[in-house]
Amino acid sequence: MKRVLVYIDEDAVEDSIDLLEVGRLMYGAKGFYSYALAAGSRYGEAGNLFDHVFRLKNGPLPNYDTATIAHCVETLHRIYYFDAIVVPATHCGRMIAPRAAMRLHAGLVADVTGIGTDGNDVLMVRPAFSGRMLATVVCRGGGPVMMSVRPRAFTYGEPVFKSAEFLDIDVQDMKIPGLRLIERREKSETRDIRKSEVLISGGGGVVRDFHLLERLAEALHGMVAASRKVVDMGKAPRAIQVGQSGKIVSPRLYIALGISGSAQHVAGIRNAEYIISVNTNRQAPICSMSEIVVEGDSQAFVEGLLKRIEASNIQTYGD
Amino acid sequence: MRILCLLKVVPDVDQFRYDRERNILIRENVRLILNPEDATAVATALGFKRDVPDTYIEAVSMAPRGAMPHLEDLVRRGIDQATLISDPRYAGSDTWATSRVLARYLGRRDFDCVFCGTHTLDGGTGQVPAQLAEALGLPLMVGISTLVELISQEGQAVVDVDGETAMMRFSVALPAVLGFQYNPECKLPYIRYEDLNRDVSGLINVIGNDKLGMDEAELGLKGSLTQVRSLTTDALEAKDPILLRVDQDGIDKVYHWLEQKGFLQP
Repeated sequence: MKRVLVYIDEDAVEDSIDLLEVGRLMYGAKGFYSYALAAGSRYGEAGNLFDHVFRLKNGPLPNYDTATIAHCVETLHRIYYFDAIVVPATHCGRMIAPRAAMRLHAGLVADVTGIGTDGNDVLMVRPAFSGRMLATVVCRGGGPVMMSVRPRAFTYGEPVFKSAEFLDIDVQDMKIPGLRLIERREKSETRDIRKSEVLISGGGGVVRDFHLLERLAEALHGMVAASRKVVDMGKAPRAIQVGQSGKIVSPRLYIALGISGSAQHVAGIRNAEYIISVNTNRQAPICSMSEIVVEGDSQAFVEGLLKRIEASNIQTYGD
Repeated sequence: MRILCLLKVVPDVDQFRYDRERNILIRENVRLILNPEDATAVATALGFKRDVPDTYIEAVSMAPRGAMPHLEDLVRRGIDQATLISDPRYAGSDTWATSRVLARYLGRRDFDCVFCGTHTLDGGTGQVPAQLAEALGLPLMVGISTLVELISQEGQAVVDVDGETAMMRFSVALPAVLGFQYNPECKLPYIRYEDLNRDVSGLINVIGNDKLGMDEAELGLKGSLTQVRSLTTDALEAKDPILLRVDQDGIDKVYHWLEQKGFLQP
């Protein structure tokens, strides 16, 4: 039996638990024992889905204490000799995984979005060059297979329910982290464009009329998103930026207004089911991946479509 | 205050062109640029130096000799010294091998703070800052949107981080590794006219493995713990779109399409 350690990030508990799917893809549903490292105070359903859950004897650690958590990973590996160590590619996970890999002298693959096998080798697929290419990478050397995995790239779709054995680990030589959290302000949940089925997204071509997008988003029960260009100009918050350097989205409908479709933007929307692009240039890169291409001015399009929707609503209510 | 800025020169991926007939991505003849997040880090350091003039900034890049013009450019923009770590034996190093070379060099330098970008445009693993911090035993924070303050006497930096679920402010004990995210408002200063052709060669050191003395078995492709098996173009499924114009007919057709797909629920 193989052994797979999953780090549970307390800021992304469900995404972390979903990494059990990575274990299943590597070794088969019954081919591995699953271990969760729950260093923080939240670990959700891990107790019902893993074989073993590790907690810290001295109490939970904040996820930003990446040096100590990496030290925990190393300590556990020296006891259990994991075949694979899987970490969610969250803000803190991206710091923990490289630190742990350095301690373990193990190869590490970042931001994995696909898993395959070739004999005994685990093949990890990750986007490179801002999402323009896919690299297939293997780990070498004697260490465990280590990877950070892009949140939501995998879903643990057929869960096997278990009753985990909880183990309290005692980590010696804890270091002073050198970090202190002064203030934390939660971002409101509703702002997460990744959860919206419909996105009305604006690019350089609609910068002046960005408020119009809100009205269309409301009419279609969606949210407003933006390209990097608009965000860089300070016309929209970074939280709604779509693309490799922003958020990777997978809505059912993506309406791209005045967006040409740079490489890094396209990388963020390749999982959209339908794309409607409105652009003055119908040769723009985004047009070739669209369901409908409307050639012309985005503002006129939004105004016209809003008028059409409002007119039919009045008609409906009149019936 | 002594700040070391880590830099990478990367291909401008927005210039990549996709050849549909051959189903390949054309990566040749693409201009090299300073990685945007690294540029933000340097610009932040230079902004700090403007306020605190006795700040000393050294730029460090592990790269082929081709990166030299970018380092010269930064010296003309106001950094004090640049170091190019360059050796054919380093070619093909993964993040593990790269971090160890950088750690070997940084371990011999005196500094209060390491500034770098959080990610690069090309590989984009974001692993080097963390692996370097681990190798040097330093605190680390990445994803920094703003440097709030940096005080060498108190040995601390205060930084704002734009995380996935929250905005956070941290105090970080120095020396530390700080990774910045791209901030378009934080621009590199212009080169002053009199500096345009300034000879800066005396301010740039080039060092190789003869100086750093790393074990050759731990360098380059053979010293790397990961190996790229294949690199393929993530081909987009080319669709055959319905072509419309922004006129009444176009808007009617979009409206009916939205209605038919169920996007117009009241």
